[in-house]
Amino acid sequence: MKHEHNEIESMNGHHHDEPVEDAEIKSWKKKLVLSWIFTIPIALMMLSERLLNFSFIEMPYQSILILALAFPVVFIFGWDTIRAGIRGLFTFYFNMDSLISLGTVIAYITGLVAFIGLVDDYSGVAAMIMSFYITGKFVEATARGKASQEIRKLLELGAKNARIIKGNREYEIPISEVKIGDILLIKPGEKIPTDGIVVKGESSIDESMVTGESLPVEKLKGSSVIGATINQDGVLYVKALKVGKDTFLAHIIELVEEAQGTKIPIQKLADKITSIFVPAILILTILTFTGWMIFLGEISRSLGVAIAVLVIACPCALGLATPTALMVSSGMGARRGILIRKGEAIQTMKEVKSIVFDKTGTITKGKPEVTNIKSMNGKENELINLAANLEKLSEHPIAKAIVDKAALKKYKKVTSFKVLRGRGVEGKIGKDSVVIGNQTLMNERKINLDKIIKFVENFEEEGKTTMIVSVNKKVIGVVAVADAVKEDSKEAIEKLNKQGYRTIMITGDNERTAKAIAKQVGINEVIANVLPENKAKKVEELQKEGMVAFIGDGINDAPALKQSNVGIAMGTGTDIAIEAGDIVLAKGSLIGVVQAINLSKATFKKIKQNLFWAFAYNVIAIPLAIGGFLHPVIAEIAMALSSITVVSNANLLRKKKID
Amino acid sequence: MKKLKLIIEGMHCASCASNIEKSLRKVNGVREVSVSLMLKKGIVEIEDFVKEDELKKAVAKAGYKVARIE
Repeated sequence: MKHEHNEIESMNGHHHDEPVEDAEIKSWKKKLVLSWIFTIPIALMMLSERLLNFSFIEMPYQSILILALAFPVVFIFGWDTIRAGIRGLFTFYFNMDSLISLGTVIAYITGLVAFIGLVDDYSGVAAMIMSFYITGKFVEATARGKASQEIRKLLELGAKNARIIKGNREYEIPISEVKIGDILLIKPGEKIPTDGIVVKGESSIDESMVTGESLPVEKLKGSSVIGATINQDGVLYVKALKVGKDTFLAHIIELVEEAQGTKIPIQKLADKITSIFVPAILILTILTFTGWMIFLGEISRSLGVAIAVLVIACPCALGLATPTALMVSSGMGARRGILIRKGEAIQTMKEVKSIVFDKTGTITKGKPEVTNIKSMNGKENELINLAANLEKLSEHPIAKAIVDKAALKKYKKVTSFKVLRGRGVEGKIGKDSVVIGNQTLMNERKINLDKIIKFVENFEEEGKTTMIVSVNKKVIGVVAVADAVKEDSKEAIEKLNKQGYRTIMITGDNERTAKAIAKQVGINEVIANVLPENKAKKVEELQKEGMVAFIGDGINDAPALKQSNVGIAMGTGTDIAIEAGDIVLAKGSLIGVVQAINLSKATFKKIKQNLFWAFAYNVIAIPLAIGGFLHPVIAEIAMALSSITVVSNANLLRKKKID
Repeated sequence: MKKLKLIIEGMHCASCASNIEKSLRKVNGVREVSVSLMLKKGIVEIEDFVKEDELKKAVAKAGYKVARIE
């Protein structure tokens, strides 16, 4: 086994994860074939003797032959298990191997002792137990490999090489040598080596492997591209902006790996039992043997029962129940651009009653555009230009919309400029003091809105955000900005409503605008006029009525995402907020929310099923073995089947429809 | 405080993972440990003074091998 690892490692170099799982499966398979070659003759001899009372070879010789055949099975092919098990007994780090090795070694020794006639010969049984154990491990490792196939694909997704342009020449270099600022050439059909920006060329790129977005995305000069996505039809020159651990793919992998390590609360009990399981079984075995000896006084029978108890107990099924389901689930999610960061979210999700959506950038595209300009004196251009001079200094998306609309070449000098968070901006151009903002701000400054209010309200009814412009405390007009709703927001929210969730939209916008947008997408409840810093507080209030999931971007909404019971952070382009959010959606679509919820629920159900089976198996099987109802070989088969069942059941999760 | 990823060889059952966790937790300066049987990896959060060798030894004590540390 060790040898194989090294071989694979040197083949792939140290930068990639070797397929550990494959090496493990291969090694079990080899042991499986070899051990059965020796075990089948043993089984035939034992069966014919027991059932037909017929011996192929005369008696002590047949026993000697069985002992000889069983030796390699237990001590050569099973050596890894025996060694680990015996060592565990001395270091007190007990595991599955401790039980199997004790069971088989004791059984084998009976074969030697049998010559002086004290006990029955269980040495053939030892070989059969080991062979079935190895078989079970092989099937289990294969099923585990299947459970992790998507994640492994993700780990192996990154490009291995890059074509770099230096001067007028191309060089092919390993991906690890690409530096920030390098210009990379990508031909059609090739993988984008790393995250960067297109400097020359046009093409469409298949990004489905990292964002779940099924349609190819058009790229031209200035577009950002993601490493590991596939260039489809054009030649692209890309400047590398992120390399190594900072790339989008590296972040996704980090998220997935971390999630695998997080514990789901429901697993805690199983973990506790697993950790004391083996010593408990050892004690139970001694008690069983003693009990049988006292009541029956027959050493052979008592030993048989004790061996059955040793090999039937299975901490594996308990320990595998949660991680395998989580693994399959992460894979299913990752393929759709859903990254479950904290396993706990899977359990919490089923308790969630309300789903709170941030408006801008979550329900809407987050790219507001100026749709209407109303000037009191009819000079629309003058109004937007004046506004643009101030808004140029702000970084708010609405400010940007106004600046883009005006498209000024030169800006006037603005003095004593101030951003009034959540309300607007103010500043001086020459001697004129200009205030631009919402109604709240105008009221604060005691600016009369009588003449403009009708226009403002009309725009707001249409779901637009209004910015009132005033000069020297006099209103001169209003600019209306609309942020289009994302294509599938409505479909997603309808699905959630149908599932019985209370859907709520939260926004800094005024009530009228907010309600108009909410109506467009089918949300019934609106919490408007909320300053960004107060979103978390609103979530806290809602939590009094039941668990809350919050959907928002990971940057501005981080406190609300943390406050909520399940925070779902929407990815924007190549930035996935690693810190905020229990679940991260790589693709900015609300359908991802529906999928994430369905996936979490299906996964949790699977985990519960698995834990139930694992518990039930041990609770039923162990007493049966103690009672002497199970032959050791049957006990071993049952044990192997129990962990295989759990892993296969986890794989069945894939059949669930979550879209 | 730093985070390390251990690639571990030889794990094949759930009690293996919990044994490794137990052993790593005993190392002075180890804050958080989580070992994944499925990924054959362990993530440890450690104080800066903890040496990689100590982690390797702890894993070896439980009967497994650290293939590499990232």
